[in-house]
Amino acid sequence: MIRTNEFTLAVIAALGFAALAVATDFNLLTAGTLDAFLRFLALPIVIGLAQMVVLAVGQMNLSVGVLTGFCAVASGWLMIDAGLPAPVAVLAALALGAVVGLVNGLLVIFTRINGFIVTLATMTILEGLRYGVNGTGTYQGYSPGLREFGQASLAGVPVVFLLAVAIAVGVALFFRRTVPGRHLLASGGNPFAARLSGISNDRALVLAHTLSGLLAGFAAVIVVAAFGSVNASIGDDLLLPSFAAPIIGGVALAGGMISVTGTVLAAFLVRLVDVSQSQFDINRRWVDLIIGAVVLGAVLLGQFRDKLSGGPR
Amino acid sequence: MKTETAPEAPAVPPAADPRPPARVLPVWANPRLGLLIVIAALVVLFSSLTPAFLDPRLTLAPLQADISVYVVVGLAQLAVLSLGHMNMAVGRMAALSTFAMGLAYDRLGVPLLVGLLLGLAVGAGIGALAGLLIAKTGVNSFVVTLALDFGLLGLVTILYTWATGGVSFAVQPSGLAALRFDTFADYCMGEVCGPRIPLVVPIAVAAALGVGLLFRHARLGREILMTGSNTVAAELSGIPTHRRVVTAHALSGLLAALAGFLLAANNGAFSANIGESFLLPSFLAPVLGGTLLAGGAVSVLGTALGATLTQVIYKGLNLLQFSLEELKLYIGLVLLAALSLDRLRAVLAERRAVSPS
Repeated sequence: MIRTNEFTLAVIAALGFAALAVATDFNLLTAGTLDAFLRFLALPIVIGLAQMVVLAVGQMNLSVGVLTGFCAVASGWLMIDAGLPAPVAVLAALALGAVVGLVNGLLVIFTRINGFIVTLATMTILEGLRYGVNGTGTYQGYSPGLREFGQASLAGVPVVFLLAVAIAVGVALFFRRTVPGRHLLASGGNPFAARLSGISNDRALVLAHTLSGLLAGFAAVIVVAAFGSVNASIGDDLLLPSFAAPIIGGVALAGGMISVTGTVLAAFLVRLVDVSQSQFDINRRWVDLIIGAVVLGAVLLGQFRDKLSGGPR
Repeated sequence: MKTETAPEAPAVPPAADPRPPARVLPVWANPRLGLLIVIAALVVLFSSLTPAFLDPRLTLAPLQADISVYVVVGLAQLAVLSLGHMNMAVGRMAALSTFAMGLAYDRLGVPLLVGLLLGLAVGAGIGALAGLLIAKTGVNSFVVTLALDFGLLGLVTILYTWATGGVSFAVQPSGLAALRFDTFADYCMGEVCGPRIPLVVPIAVAAALGVGLLFRHARLGREILMTGSNTVAAELSGIPTHRRVVTAHALSGLLAALAGFLLAANNGAFSANIGESFLLPSFLAPVLGGTLLAGGAVSVLGTALGATLTQVIYKGLNLLQFSLEELKLYIGLVLLAALSLDRLRAVLAERRAVSPS
């Protein structure tokens, strides 16, 4: 079923891309447009994966978007106000993301409160902190090296996009090949059975939340590098896309089933809708409407297919 | 300040839990009582820090109006939490409904009440649509309402641009200004017989009483709770669970529409940004009040107290010149602290209750 879902998505993505290329008189395939297309695809991919790793254990992370913004602003502060070199700021952003994720996970296991509520609370706190770093100010003109990295291309492909793909491959290998990755999936699929097999569900929850935070840190690095400036509004519009990508990609909210390829393809589809909006000068709001319809359609289609193939999941 | 919550007390006594009480928990384990104490302590704290907090006209009347809005917002979420569902589109349902109200006042010139009823019908309709999608397909309510929220976000902006060319209706139906500015004191010889309670308060109280009675005494409400508690058992007991899911979501949409109307009355305008700030408070109020996300049990009184607590904190910190973003930090911390304490209290109470028996 996962296979067919990913196959369907790949076909839709390819058809959509071809249709858009034809409709724009192949403007989409010119170096500049294609470059921008892929450059701004990096963030949705990573943010979708950050949500996916907690969905794997049947949790949600509402703080993922705001955490990305917080890490981005914090690394801006480190470079501009604290005068630290870019590599330190990048590592600090990653560490900060992982630590906040760890705190989320620990709160979930120690308070036994639903992860939805815990991350709702930490999201609210992070919104305050994100603003607290620099108020309404914008950090720009930091490390030329980092901004060049954000604009650089390797054989015509933006480096940040390659970074996002590398992260996706890493996440896929983690879930497919490593013991902790398999433990996460086992715990998400059936916590009781996992416990009987000697897997610590608590550890799986903490690990998933920490990973989610770390990926949000990576998303922050991509923002800092590719956007060239950061302020306190970053991350506000990332929450819904973070759910849209995995859900369209066929990841089950109940946990235990993930699809890295599906998530990446879904992020690609959402980006396609985004680009057609700018290419055809459509009202920005139609995009929200269309993405809402696509998410719902994808879910209904999945349900329908399950019914056809017989039996409940 | 407590006036709007006090009348509901008989509607939902602490034992709103539908399951038979196996053990009677001690009084101090009641989260509602804890909330009441925290609210009282905060009121004392804020009024000693800044005397302006007790100013009836500038602080207390607007505070009551705000609380009224967010009590209804909390109830809108509570209506589906009773099933163990979520409504992520609660704000946008309010936005769409208030658009319908604004359009009716603007184009048709209908009286205030007719427009309100029309908007409530739109809210109930869109809620029922969400419920229908969830019941028919069995897809997680979170996903359905999240997608709906995304869709409505686009739709509402497009509709406002189409109907007004901007983001808000200029129309002011007669009676809206009275709802916005007047208190009972304006209608009866100063403060002789009427307290300074804004006119929107009784609307929220009526909504809370209605929802409380529904879940406590009405067959419909009990059936919804049964469905939330154990769908299979409910189905086997002859409850039309699909229809109850639709009903609960329609109720959620209806209450969201009412909250949107109250906010529009408080703001004095039907605008596209109504509902933008509803999502977090909608969960905050019921969860602080002890309603679980698991479904099957609700607390209307707790939701009213939860909404009151959040708004008291907002108002108090606001008067102390905290910025909106700082407020968020503290609200988040309060939420975490309250939930952790609640958890601790529950564990202690369980232990205390187990040992004698």
